[in-house]
Amino acid sequence: MHATPVLRRALGLGVLKRWASVIALFALWEGVCRARLVDPFLLPALSEVLRRGAGELWSGELVAFTALTLYRTLAAFVLAGAIGIAIGVSMSLSAPLRWFGEPVVSFAFPIPKIALMPIFVLWFGVFDLSKIVMTTVAAVVTVISATHLGTRHIDKYLLWSAQSLGTHRRALFWKIVIPAALPAILTGLQIALPMCLIVSIVTEMITGGRGLGGYMIYASRFAESDKVFLGIFLTALIGYVLTEGLAMARRRLLAWHPEETVMV
Amino acid sequence: MPHIEIVGITKVYEQPAAPPIVALDGVDLTVEHDQFVSLVGPSGCGKSTLLHLVGGFISPSTGEIRIDGRPVTGPGPDRGIVFQNFALFPWLTVRGNVEYGLAEKGIPRRERRKVAQHFIDMVKLTGFEEVYPHRLSGGMQQRVALARMLACDPQILLMDEPFGALDAQTRLILQEELKEIWRQARKTVLFVTHDVREAVFLSQRVVVMTARPGRIKEIVDTDLPADAPRLAVDALAEDIWATLREEVLKAVVPGDRREQAP
Repeated sequence: MHATPVLRRALGLGVLKRWASVIALFALWEGVCRARLVDPFLLPALSEVLRRGAGELWSGELVAFTALTLYRTLAAFVLAGAIGIAIGVSMSLSAPLRWFGEPVVSFAFPIPKIALMPIFVLWFGVFDLSKIVMTTVAAVVTVISATHLGTRHIDKYLLWSAQSLGTHRRALFWKIVIPAALPAILTGLQIALPMCLIVSIVTEMITGGRGLGGYMIYASRFAESDKVFLGIFLTALIGYVLTEGLAMARRRLLAWHPEETVMV
Repeated sequence: MPHIEIVGITKVYEQPAAPPIVALDGVDLTVEHDQFVSLVGPSGCGKSTLLHLVGGFISPSTGEIRIDGRPVTGPGPDRGIVFQNFALFPWLTVRGNVEYGLAEKGIPRRERRKVAQHFIDMVKLTGFEEVYPHRLSGGMQQRVALARMLACDPQILLMDEPFGALDAQTRLILQEELKEIWRQARKTVLFVTHDVREAVFLSQRVVVMTARPGRIKEIVDTDLPADAPRLAVDALAEDIWATLREEVLKAVVPGDRREQAP
């Protein structure tokens, strides 16, 4: 029984230690503002931003905007994931597709995809569709190349073992290649998810259309710096929750993988 | 009818911008049912290649391999294999690995579990059923590979230096266990090793191969009685080593970079 408070304290300390740098940064922010070292217009205190947030929450507008950004981010993520895995897998399975796809992916990889936004606005309008397409295009290349790299090189002894245990040649892909490539595919998705959030917000900033990006741009135009900071704060929070959720999913899916048992 | 017939097998690996590698050159070998045959030879002599050919994982440049008179066209569950590097499925538990082949055979879940448990117990891994391979030691992983192969009940066991990566003690124990399993189950075994004593201890015939290009130099009858004294095993191993020695020396000419055939 006496171990419980010790354990609890250990856990509390662990959490505190993990978040110490963020907490320190917030304290510094608050302190600098309280000490009136900066103009509150240029940098409103954290407490001001949070108070504003509590007020905005009642209006319902901010909640709707956050939901909208979240919807665009996740829709694009699901699309980029599905399309990216499908293309990456197809390129590994078919030599002609590989011949066609590999140079295209290499070429597309370093392009700042956001440059295509004006084109997508012309093609798909200024509403949800162009934003989701833009975000999908930006994230899909990462998923394609991670999936392709993961599924392209599989230990031949794993394939041979499966075949000698009765797995048909055509079933090898799903039974061996995909599970063996899962760590690489998940890594691709983990890079794609924050990318989707970033690009969604940028598209909202460019084309207006509400969402957190639009909210911040409008606030900036009306010189409401506390609202801008509130937007940044919320974006960071969403980003953290999303990536942490995916990291948890990874730990579950890859319980078998040596990397997941390393203690941090 | 012999169980395995290897007839005039040649295997040549073409390589870009270099002369082709002749891994095997005119190999003929016949293995009877329930026989335990070992292949020994210097590194790169093509003994693993020969095993992979019997497994149907690669195809010969010339010649033919027949199992019960039928030519080999690809891998199949009639020939189980254990590789030197274990090649367990890392995303499956010990139980999952051992059940894999049974599931491929379409055996129902309950039956699968029973059979898998039998082989897990046999290789002394009881209690490790739900553990993932990376948590196990090399010796334990090799036992899982053995159980996974045996659970499928293949008629032919192909073993590619299965104890090569293990420490000396684990090796001795697994050798004795394998001999016992073979005595009970009566399978045809083709066993690749570079340990001559291991070959003599386990097998009824030892095939000595030449340095690359791999040919059969000599086939030695090593079917000692089960209670043969250690000295008899050692003496026979000594004889085979004398034959093998000159081939090993040929294979390690200084400055000649020889790699294991792919």
